[in-house]
Amino acid sequence: MSQQLIHSPALKPAAGTRTGPPRRPSSRGSSLSRRERTGAVFIAPHMLMLGLFMLVPTVYAVYSSLFATKLIGGRQYVGLENYRTVLHSGEFWSGVARVLVFGAIQVPLTLGIAFAFAALFDAGVIRGSRFFRTVYFMPFAVPGVVASVMWSFLLLPGFGAYAKALKALGLGHVDFFSSRLILPTIMLIVIWEWTGYNMTILYTSLKSIPKEVTEAAIMEGASLWRIILHIKLPMVMPSIVMLVFLNAVGALQLFTEPSILASFQPQAISFGFTPTLFVYHTAVGSGEYELGAAAAVVLALIIGAISVAGFAVRRRNGEFR
Amino acid sequence: MTPRSARAARKSGSEQVSPHLYGLRRGTTTVLNLIAILFAAFILGPLLWLLFSATKSQAEIYDSFGFWFAGPFRLWHNLSALGHNVSGTGVFVHWLGNTLVYAVGGAVGATILSALAGYGFSRYRFRGANTMFLLVMATLLVPLTAIALPLFLFYSKVGLVNSVWGMILPSMVSPIGIYLMRTFIDASVPKELIEAARLDGASELWIFWRIGLPLAFPGLMTVLLISIVAIWNNYFLPLIIFSKSGLYPLTVGLSALSQAAETGTKAELVPVLITGGLVTVVPLILLFLLLERYFRGGMLQGSVTG
Repeated sequence: MSQQLIHSPALKPAAGTRTGPPRRPSSRGSSLSRRERTGAVFIAPHMLMLGLFMLVPTVYAVYSSLFATKLIGGRQYVGLENYRTVLHSGEFWSGVARVLVFGAIQVPLTLGIAFAFAALFDAGVIRGSRFFRTVYFMPFAVPGVVASVMWSFLLLPGFGAYAKALKALGLGHVDFFSSRLILPTIMLIVIWEWTGYNMTILYTSLKSIPKEVTEAAIMEGASLWRIILHIKLPMVMPSIVMLVFLNAVGALQLFTEPSILASFQPQAISFGFTPTLFVYHTAVGSGEYELGAAAAVVLALIIGAISVAGFAVRRRNGEFR
Repeated sequence: MTPRSARAARKSGSEQVSPHLYGLRRGTTTVLNLIAILFAAFILGPLLWLLFSATKSQAEIYDSFGFWFAGPFRLWHNLSALGHNVSGTGVFVHWLGNTLVYAVGGAVGATILSALAGYGFSRYRFRGANTMFLLVMATLLVPLTAIALPLFLFYSKVGLVNSVWGMILPSMVSPIGIYLMRTFIDASVPKELIEAARLDGASELWIFWRIGLPLAFPGLMTVLLISIVAIWNNYFLPLIIFSKSGLYPLTVGLSALSQAAETGTKAELVPVLITGGLVTVVPLILLFLLLERYFRGGMLQGSVTG
């Protein structure tokens, strides 16, 4: 999964727009406009890089997706033909369906575990919570490539330490790389990688709830479970909603884990196992860059549509203020 | 943010409620502690396995018990193999050097750009500022994975394929860095101080350099660290833009190595792969353990301000 390094600032996207810059001092107009220019100068380097390395490549990719490199005649304008090919590709859509299923299971699991631990650590009912929080966060510093390699070796049928342990426990021969178990295996790896990160953000959010709220609930005789589920959970809902988005966008772009597992068990991971693998194999593997660009655009549109739809639903429910 | 949680944020410094007030039964507490220990074992298991396996020969890695030493202690031997091109895919030490260059170059650049832009957004009002800020925040939801193929196509047009700059320059664009710097400067660089310096005739750049930056130092550290981790762990972008193995960072090199270890007939590649994995992970884990408060600072910042 390729989640970005987004810390909880992302949890309140509107916050930055509200904590505005200082009010204009009532000085002369000339110094004002000069100061206005200074502000623009400060942000100019980043905006230039943003334009050069995000906007321009995106526009160029969309433009490229309208061409095809033919054996005879070279690069030709083909209009929307690449998009037709992608949209009619069963391989592409099966990958999209797979990451949707993956996300629908992995995201709630990750956030459920993360919130449970965050709430317990926040309540202080677990001894040595500082140690646990540090340990849980450690996979954040482990590249997805290394995580996938470690787990592949641990789960390798017949050889892996965990596969052997399951056999010793009498659970028989479990093939984690079989077509039936490959997706749960990837979920296991992704949960290992990202639970601690989500837990840390939720823990920080929970910490900002004043203790008077908890104290009042205890006076009323509420149990710990009631306090966690009915008082604290609703209060950190905005953080959870943002984490759902970030995790879901990561899940839809699933690439690193299956691509590394493929080097251990090539038959388990197909050409278009996930949409990002489809893009990579089409563009880099088969050299059909324009077709790959079209697939990337379609994938970006799908992810964008899901994000916008999600935001719209949450906004109607009054989650964002 | 709701007024309630804003008030909550201000009180975040207060102590927590004493846990015994919840009146949990002893048995329940024991079970909860056990679950936490089990999950810690789930997290630490692969890392311990990596540590022990890096001291073994290929045969021992497959055959011995994974969570203890076995056979002769071969860690130094395995480490020395990282300096040679044993797999035919490249030399691990070169990849380590590349990753250092990409991570330091990209992260320093990201920190400078974020500090400038964060200060600009925080302490100036100018036309289009809000639109620009919204644009930056929108790119937050566009992971580098989605932009990698477009970047490659663009690079092949402008000749940045197989160039070190092709990796470093896009890594400098850090929307999260700007958000962090903006909220940090909002909270820790008083407007009054800036106004006072202006009245004393200080130039805008001098104020930024001598007042803004020193006060925002913890924020700078946070942005630097999370940028280093992000670039260190980046896999998809370098995979797409580099075809020369001499330019690979650690992630792509290890991926090539794992392919060679599984498909090739050359002996003793697995210890190289595993020891390489260990060397990839250890610097970041050390960095994290030593500077944990700055990593946490990034998380705290967002929830307390705003």
